[in-house]
Formats: sequence, structure tokens, C-alpha cells
Amino acid sequence: MPLLEVQNINFGYDQRDVLKDISFQVNKGEIFFLLGPNGCGKTTLLDCVLGLLRPRNGNIHLNGTNINGIKPESIARQVAYVPQSHEKTFPYTVRDIVLMGRASYIGLFASPSEEDMAIVEEALALVGILHLRDRRYTQLSGGEGQLVMIARALAQKTPLIVMDEPTAHLDFKHELVIMETIVDLVRETGLSILMATHFPNHAFYFENNDIATRVTLMNDNRFLRAGSPTEVLSEDNLKLIYNINARVVSYPIDLDHELRQVIPISTNN
Amino acid sequence: MNETKKKLLYASLVIGPLAFIFITLFIGRYPVSIPVVAQILWCKFTFSTCNLPDIYQTLVWDIRMPRAILGALVGGSLAVSGAAFQGLFRNPLVSSGILGVTSGAGFGAALAIILFHAATVPIYISAFLFGGLAVLLSFLIGRVYNTTPVIMLVLGGTIVSSVFSALISFTKYVADPTNELPSIVFWLMGSLASARYQDIVIAGLPMVVGIVGLVAVRWRINVLSMGDKEAHTLGINTKMNKGIVIVCATLATAGAVCVSGIIGWVGLVIPHIGRMLVGNDNRVLIPTSLSLGACFLILVDNLGRIITGSEIPLGILTALVGGPFFVYLLKSTKGGGW
Repeated sequence: MPLLEVQNINFGYDQRDVLKDISFQVNKGEIFFLLGPNGCGKTTLLDCVLGLLRPRNGNIHLNGTNINGIKPESIARQVAYVPQSHEKTFPYTVRDIVLMGRASYIGLFASPSEEDMAIVEEALALVGILHLRDRRYTQLSGGEGQLVMIARALAQKTPLIVMDEPTAHLDFKHELVIMETIVDLVRETGLSILMATHFPNHAFYFENNDIATRVTLMNDNRFLRAGSPTEVLSEDNLKLIYNINARVVSYPIDLDHELRQVIPISTNN
Repeated sequence: MNETKKKLLYASLVIGPLAFIFITLFIGRYPVSIPVVAQILWCKFTFSTCNLPDIYQTLVWDIRMPRAILGALVGGSLAVSGAAFQGLFRNPLVSSGILGVTSGAGFGAALAIILFHAATVPIYISAFLFGGLAVLLSFLIGRVYNTTPVIMLVLGGTIVSSVFSALISFTKYVADPTNELPSIVFWLMGSLASARYQDIVIAGLPMVVGIVGLVAVRWRINVLSMGDKEAHTLGINTKMNKGIVIVCATLATAGAVCVSGIIGWVGLVIPHIGRMLVGNDNRVLIPTSLSLGACFLILVDNLGRIITGSEIPLGILTALVGGPFFVYLLKSTKGGGW
């Protein structure tokens, strides 16, 4: 049984269609990428999966359960969310932020228990920021802040994490730090990830690291191509979706690994 | 924060207001000695009769005691609902009156003063109802898009507040300037002078219900302060949780305002003083604000009674006393990470 199964969903605001007849599934231990130009409906699709928006028709099953009409806490135990950019308000400590990942397990009038605190420490250790636990998260760098968001998602103990451009606004190194962290998590914990991104090379990065990776190209509110990064992210398809000229190159890093990357060349036809 | 420190903090949060209430029993123009106060408290708590002159009993037990208790309830209510609203609206500049409860209650009181000529119970009821009505209107305006996004709620509150402020001005304009107008003006400046046990019973009920509710859901306020989208994905029914916080904060504030009039400053700044002392986690901040608000209002009320021959209204003194204290804390704690 697939972890996430999306069957023929449509979504729209009034007259405007945002998602047209979308179907896909995400299996355990797999990372699934949504690629496509701005406004193609990636974030809307993620919001549907998270139960924030209700599709006009079609079904979304999480672990075999239809999410239509189930409580937010039930969804939050199946799928966690790492936002593109988190708007910081009050200077909470890192520990307090990650602790909020436990909300779906804690009753309305209850406070977190010792067990919840232990899960928080474990999540912080998994992404390698245990030493930051007492720091105010407003004083962290962008990369560290995003690691806190990933730790919070891990504290939710879900089999699936949805990430919406988790490396947006990050510098060159921290983008790589986030990617490495996700690779380690998928390897060690068997997590599944559904990620929207603007960078085709992210998909190649995971494929290069021998993680089960699939990509879908979205355009005009529907899926155009889906498959492995090598199949889907071809020079022809990139031309079709983004209307750019690009080369896909491959560079051997050791005997049985090669590093595949997209190099954008020009926007001229 | 380690366990011992936590226990110490919670103990001081309980002892603080009790100590302030106790000290209040000695403060005033008529001196009362410690043995006398102790004897009166002993008699009252053991339900025995005292052999003291009635004047002492009246002064300590019927005048100073209810006033101190009411001060603690009002100060605690305003501070705790301010802290809750700041978390809910994700905005440190928000106070307990953000959804219009204060202006609504002000209008309710002014209307009752004109219609019923300053009989206290109708004023309480009218102020309380109009305070609640104002919040309901803000909420309905905020629901225009069928959801209740925070920004629309704030906008709704601002609109409703300004409408009720205009209505307050109107009641002042039509009020009889010899007796009604001064009553309205004094009511709006805030005072605990009318405190009797009867008032504590009437207005204390919504205050206690509101406070208990907010203390119970205090950790949820942390999660709500992440914003609607994140709070929902963390597994929280945002509509219901926001509703609970708004109802509890409104009960507490409306209960406070209807007996004490409009006391500004407490619901805005006390939570920030709490943040500087214990941080932003609402699990600790909410009880701390409650305790600080209670202590602060008792203190200010006592100052108002003894500084000059006649009482200085509370609404004036809260800012005059609290402002310098706030600046001092800002300097000594470096603002607590803002």
C-alpha cells in the first residue's frame, strides 16, 4: 500500500482551476519531487495533501485513510510540514519550537510530558542541532532555522514529511547541509518526503545518493511527465516546461558513481 | 529552566499576590496594627466573633480586603488576556482590548449611567454585555471570508472599537453635565473604589472562568502563535482553539472592565514584563502575567489611595507608575531577545 495516494484530484478558486486531474503516489522510503514554474500549482497541491485545502473532487489517502473530513490531529500524525519560510514572531527557544511538533499527541488542556521532551531531544540530535536547544530561534541563521523546522517535523513522528522549497533563501553551503540532512534521514529512518522545489539538481542530488527518487514536472496546473530524474529531467523536457536551453551533464566521482547535473544555458529559442 | 528553579518561580507567583493583598490591609489613612489585623483574620477564617471595635472590622475586612482581592482579579485578568491575545494575534503590540471589549464596555457603562443614574449593578451588566457584543461584532467582521484570518480580526476589532468610542463621545455629549457626565468620566478613568464582596461575586465569576480557561490552554497558545497554516499542520483545530482563547479572554476582560472601568496599560505591558523575566513560552508566561498583573494593580491602587488626599484614578496611575518600571527592566534584562 502506498503511503500517500492522490487520485484524480481537481482544485480551484471560483472559476479558476489550479489543479487539474492530478494523480500520484508516494511509497515508503521514497522522495518525490514536484518541479514546475511559479504559479503552476505546486504549493496548492501540497496544501491539499496537508488537509489545508479541500479538493473539488478526487481522493487523497494517507496510509490508507481518506483525509477528507478527518481531524487535524489525525492528519498531523501522518504528515508533517516544513514551510518555505517560517515567519518568526516571539523569540521562543529552539526546544519550545520543536516541542510544538508534539501538538497532535497532546490533549487540549494538557502540557507536554517528559516523554515528549525526550522525543524533542532525539529529533534535535537527528538533524545535528542538539547544541542549539536553549538558543532563541530568532537569533539563528537561515540554515539553522530551517534545521529547526525539520526537527519540529521529525518530532511529529510521521511517516511522511511535506517540504515546500526548504532551501529557498539559503546560502550555497546551507542548501547542501539541508540536502545532506534529508538524505541521512531518509536512509536512517525510512521516511518518505514530498518536496516542491525550483531546482532540478535537487532531484539529481538524491538520485546520485542512491535514494529512491521520483520527479514530476508540473505545468499549467497538471502533471506533464513523471518518473526517475534521469528519465524526466531531460534537455527536451526542460525546454518544454521552462522554455530554456539546458544541458544535462554527467561527471564520474568514483568507480561506480556519477554525478548528474543540469546546467542552464540560455533562455533564447 | 531546571525543576528547582521552576518550583521556586511558581511558589513566588502564588505568594506574591497574597503578600500584596496582606500588605494592603495596613495601608490607608487610618492606621491598623499587625496584631489587630491578625486577630480579625483569625476571627473571620474561624467564623468566631471578635471583641474588637466594629470600625476595625469594617475597615480591614469589609473595605480593604475586598478592594485588594478585586484589584488582584482585575489586574490578573487584564494581564493574562493581554498575554493570550498577543500570542494568538502574533503581535506584541496587541492588548486585552484589541477586539473592542474595552470600548464596548465603556459605552455600555455610559449608557447605563444615563438610563439608570449610576446604580451599580445595571452598570456592570450593561458594560459586560456591550463588551461581549463588541467582540462578537469584531469576530463577525473577521469572518467575512468564512475563515477567521488574524488580520481580519484585528481590523474588525479596530473598526468596532472606533465605533464604540464615537458612541461613548455621543453619550458624554448628551449626558447631564452636573451629575451624569462626571460619573461617566470617572468610570472611564478606572477605579476599584466601589469594591464590595457583592461585586467580587458578580464580576469575579467571568474573570475566574476566563483566567482558568486561559491557564488551561496556555500551551496551545504557543502553537497558535505559529500562524494558522503551521498550527493546522501541527495538528490543531485552529478555529476551535482560537474560539476558546477569544471567549476566555473576553470573559476575563469584560468581567474586569465592568467593575473597574477602563484601566489601560496592564493588558499591554505586563505581559512584556513577564517576557523579560521568564521568556516567551506561554506555559510559564501566562501564569507569570497573571501574578504580575495582580501584584501590579494592587500596588498601583494602594499608591492611588495614599499619594494625595483624594484618590487618583487607576487609569492615570498605571502608566505613570508602570512606565519607568518598564524602562528599568528593559535596561536591566536587555529586552529579553527581541
